[in-house]
Amino acid sequence: MPTRQSGVPTNRSRIRRRFAGAGLLSVLGVTAVLLSACSSSSSSSPTTTTTPSVSLSSLEKWPTTAVSLQETGSSLLYPLFNLWEEQIHTDHSNVTITTASTGSGTGVSDASNGTVNIGASDAYLSPGQVAAAPGIENIPLAISGQEINYNVPGISATSHLKLDGSVLAQIYQGTITNWNDPKIAALNPGVTLPNLTIIPIHRSDSSGDTFLFSSFLSDSDPTGWTIAPGTTISWPNVAGEVTAQGNGGMVQACQKNPGCVAYIGISYQTEATGAGLGYAALQNKSGNYELPTQATFSDEAAGFTSSTPASGTISMIYGSATDGYPIVNFEYGIVLSKQSSSTTAQAIRAVLAWAIDPNGGNAPTFLDQVGFVALPTQIEAISSKLISKIS
Amino acid sequence: MTVGATVSKTDTDLPTAAPSQSGGGGGGPDPGAHDPSGGGPAGPGAGQEKWWRGERLGPQVLRVVTHLPLIVLVLIMAALIWKAIPAIRYNGFGFFGRSVWNFGNLYAPILHTHGVAHPPGALYGALPLILGTIGSSAIAMVLALPVGVGTALVVVEKLPPRLSYGIGFCLEILAGVPSVVIGLWGFLTLGPFLMHHVATLWANHVPDVPVLRFFRGPTGNGQGLLTSGVILAMMIVPIIAATTRDLLRQVPRGTVEGAVALGMTDAEAANTVTIPWVRSGVIGASMLGLGRALGETIAVAMVSGVLVGSPIRSLYSAFSTIAATIVSQLDGAFTDASGLAVATLAELALVLLVITLLANVGARLLVRRVATTALPVGRGI
Repeated sequence: MPTRQSGVPTNRSRIRRRFAGAGLLSVLGVTAVLLSACSSSSSSSPTTTTTPSVSLSSLEKWPTTAVSLQETGSSLLYPLFNLWEEQIHTDHSNVTITTASTGSGTGVSDASNGTVNIGASDAYLSPGQVAAAPGIENIPLAISGQEINYNVPGISATSHLKLDGSVLAQIYQGTITNWNDPKIAALNPGVTLPNLTIIPIHRSDSSGDTFLFSSFLSDSDPTGWTIAPGTTISWPNVAGEVTAQGNGGMVQACQKNPGCVAYIGISYQTEATGAGLGYAALQNKSGNYELPTQATFSDEAAGFTSSTPASGTISMIYGSATDGYPIVNFEYGIVLSKQSSSTTAQAIRAVLAWAIDPNGGNAPTFLDQVGFVALPTQIEAISSKLISKIS
Repeated sequence: MTVGATVSKTDTDLPTAAPSQSGGGGGGPDPGAHDPSGGGPAGPGAGQEKWWRGERLGPQVLRVVTHLPLIVLVLIMAALIWKAIPAIRYNGFGFFGRSVWNFGNLYAPILHTHGVAHPPGALYGALPLILGTIGSSAIAMVLALPVGVGTALVVVEKLPPRLSYGIGFCLEILAGVPSVVIGLWGFLTLGPFLMHHVATLWANHVPDVPVLRFFRGPTGNGQGLLTSGVILAMMIVPIIAATTRDLLRQVPRGTVEGAVALGMTDAEAANTVTIPWVRSGVIGASMLGLGRALGETIAVAMVSGVLVGSPIRSLYSAFSTIAATIVSQLDGAFTDASGLAVATLAELALVLLVITLLANVGARLLVRRVATTALPVGRGI
């Protein structure tokens, strides 16, 4: 515990420095977010008055007695939740949240059976899970994405290799086994690729990142990748394949295995880059190669905003946005709408409402540190309705 | 031993033992007061003493207590079988021949086959897990047996008492190191060292022919069968060495000295006198160690790479054992709303239980055979 708490500030300052360095990029990203937020709020304000919407301020009623909440799940959301937890505890010292990075599968199962108050997941609930745990909600908390990392000696971290779903599917099926394969070279004219065996790395725990990545493979190459997406999938057998636990484990495994390919959540970009891993420009549905940035994330998410149902359950993989990055998702808080005590319910409502508040947890000061994007106003309204059901 | 004999004789009394225990417990002081041998003046204290030391009740309580291990074992088995029934019906016998671990599509509607609810595409096979469990334990035994027995021989026969005491102390400390600590050390230090500096000595020079191919190939990042075997060996060595040391101390000195007096070298004396004397005990200790290796969970989960559903390609590739699979997959399995994934883990646990039981029974048979045929002293002289 002490290591985590002492680790967060240094991590944060490191991230800050990094973003200060990449100033233009983040400023652009933030402006894009703010612009989209402004435009959508002005356009959607009439709808919020017509439909009975729930205001965030009505939900952000902090309990006055001491409450401690538990959160487990997604290692992708974990760094952000830590930042949130720290701020919440500073503002409301009677509310403590313990957080744990355990993988989305654990987040879903722990929240479903009531082991923890809040489960974090990159994957939305399946109909079976909803049926098995009546009253379970997946509440969008922020927009996140996933980068495809590689450790290829000779390719500098700043020159991003171009990859597409078909090539990645063949790598993870073992049909493309070397970095100098003509199919990779065809996507990267002018780049000298080494004669090096590719080591595909996948998660050993039940992971929302696996869900996102396998969704991308099956959406972008439906004929080449026939395995149904899931948090635990049956990976094809590939010689030399490596497994890792958690996003942190993926970074470490990829660092230790030159030639690796790994799918890693955007909140680990600083760690991954620090470990010498490069990340790829991925081909989207429009055929453009996009880097994982806040701007390309919000472009992608904007294409799905109007079609998001009231349950918040939607896949935002491989959308049709021209400049969108193809692996983008909502980070979900998985919460049972029936809680054991009204104080706990009140605390959960306040925490989640604050988390999605553009002046609270969804403010750029938090999201920029992990590369996430704030929820558009329409999604914020969907989330607040879901939060208001917690009692 | 005597307790065991009592149990087998009074087996049929068990059903009556439980009610009479509760009855006796309730009326404890009463029969005590009426019992002439109780000694009236002693009062309630004497009645209390009678209650547990008395002729009638003590053995009955003891009988129930001695049956507890059996009852617990049966309950565990029954619960596992009950939980595993859907998986046993769905997976069939193919479970033992397939190399696949597929939860199926958890986002699609749940289907029913043979009356078992399951996600479409769910398919499980335990072959690599069973092979991984037996393989890693076998590597551990091959490494630990000579090292453990050799250590004990040197400690008892060769070292001065003070040094021997020191090494014995270290062995006991090593036996007490929590497996998670050994696992972490294996993950951070031993695994990378083995794969980068030791296995590389031969991995690329082994000929590419059917059996030897298993010892060939890229040595990976430190997680794999070899590392797991070495880690497990480290956990077994203290068990074998400490037991063997205690056994060796009981070998009559006169016999060993006699062998040496006949002109035998130390090695010959050890081979013909000392080792046969302790053989059945060493086999027993080894099987104790094997039992530990088969069921070891967390250390293996840390250094195996937990690769479920893929065949084991080489000595260096990531793999998984039954125990490591259960601990790493349980959380994910609960996301399968049909319950098949959890049932399959219960079936795996059942398989592990059966393997461990077989190893234990095998050890008993082996000990009995060796103990009855081997002459304790002077074999081959």
